[in-house]
Amino acid sequence: MKWASLAVPMLIVAILAYALVKKVNVYKAFLDGVGESVRSLMSLLPCLAAMLTAISVLKGSGALGFFTDLISPAAEKLGVKAPLVPLIALRPFSGSGSLAILKELLTEYGADSPVGREASVIVGSTETVFYTVSVYFGAVGVTKTRQAVPAAIISGLVGTAVGILLA
Amino acid sequence: MMNWVFVILTAVGLIVFAVKGDGAGAMAALAAGTGGAVTLALELAGPFMLWSGLFKVAERAGLTEGLSKMMRKPLSLLMPDLGGAAAPVSLNLAANFFGLGNAATPFGIEAVKRLDRGDGRASDSMAMFIALNSSAVELLPTSVIAVRTACGSADPYSVVIPTFLASLAAAFAAIISAKLLGRVFK
Repeated sequence: MKWASLAVPMLIVAILAYALVKKVNVYKAFLDGVGESVRSLMSLLPCLAAMLTAISVLKGSGALGFFTDLISPAAEKLGVKAPLVPLIALRPFSGSGSLAILKELLTEYGADSPVGREASVIVGSTETVFYTVSVYFGAVGVTKTRQAVPAAIISGLVGTAVGILLA
Repeated sequence: MMNWVFVILTAVGLIVFAVKGDGAGAMAALAAGTGGAVTLALELAGPFMLWSGLFKVAERAGLTEGLSKMMRKPLSLLMPDLGGAAAPVSLNLAANFFGLGNAATPFGIEAVKRLDRGDGRASDSMAMFIALNSSAVELLPTSVIAVRTACGSADPYSVVIPTFLASLAAAFAAIISAKLLGRVFK
C-alpha cells in the first residue's frame, strides 16, 4: 500500500518533467489553471449557498423525519427494512449525514447483519445527487437543467433497489 | 427543475418550522446553510486549484490530446456533442473509479465548462455527464469500508462486489433515463 500511495505524486512529477522537456512554461500554465479554477469557484458559491440552505432547513425542521415516517409503511411493503428508510431519504442530500446514519445502523444492528450489509451497499453505490448537480451546474451557471435531475434520481433509486437485492 | 427543487425544499422546511412555532430555529437553519456553503467552497478550493493547475500544465504539454483521441469514440456514444471535453470527462470518470474524489470534481467542472454553450441550458451531453456523475461507479468504496471496519465487521470488504454491481446498475439507469428523458425535457 505504501507504493500505491506514491503513484499520484510520481505521476505529478512525470507530468511536470514532461511539460518542461516540451518547453512549456510550467509555472505560468499552473498559475493560469489555478486562476480559472478560482473564477469557477466564485460562480459555484451562490449555487452551493442555495442548495445547502434548502437542505439545512429541510433537515433542521424535522421535515425529513416526517417524510420518512410517512413513507416507511409503503417502503416496507416494497421489501425495504424500516431502519433503512431515513438513510435512503437523506442519501441524495448529505454525504456526511448518510455516513453518520450508516455508523448508527452498523452499531445498532451489527455490521454483518442484513440491515448493516444493505445500508453499506446503499451508501457505497449511490451519490449525493443534489450536491453533484448543484456543483456542476453552478460552475457554468446553467439553470435550465432539463433531464439531469430526474435521471440522477432514477439512477439513485435503481442503485438503492439493486443494492438491497444483492447485499 | 432546480427552481422547483429549491422552492419546495426550502418552503416545506420553513413551514414545518412555523408549525412548530420555532422561528429562531428557522433563522439558525437558514444561516447554517449559507455559512456551510462558504466552508464547503473553501474545502473544495484547495484540491480544485491544485488539479486545475496540473491539468493546464498537462494540456499545454500535449498530454491530454492522446487521451482525448483514445476516448473520443466511446464517449461520443454517450455524449454526441462532446467537443473538446473528452479529456476532462475521461479524467473525471477515471478519478471517480479509483476513488480520488478530490481530483474528480475539478475535472468534472472543467468538463461541464467545455460542454457548456453559454445559453444557460443543459445540453443532452451535459445532462448525461451530470447524471453519470450522480451514480458512483467506484473500485473500492473506501469510506464505507472504513465505517464497517470501525464498527467491528468480521469482513468489511464483503460488500465490495454487491456495491460495485449496484453502482453499475445505477450508472446504466442514469444512461438510459438521461437518453430517454432528453426528449421529454426540452
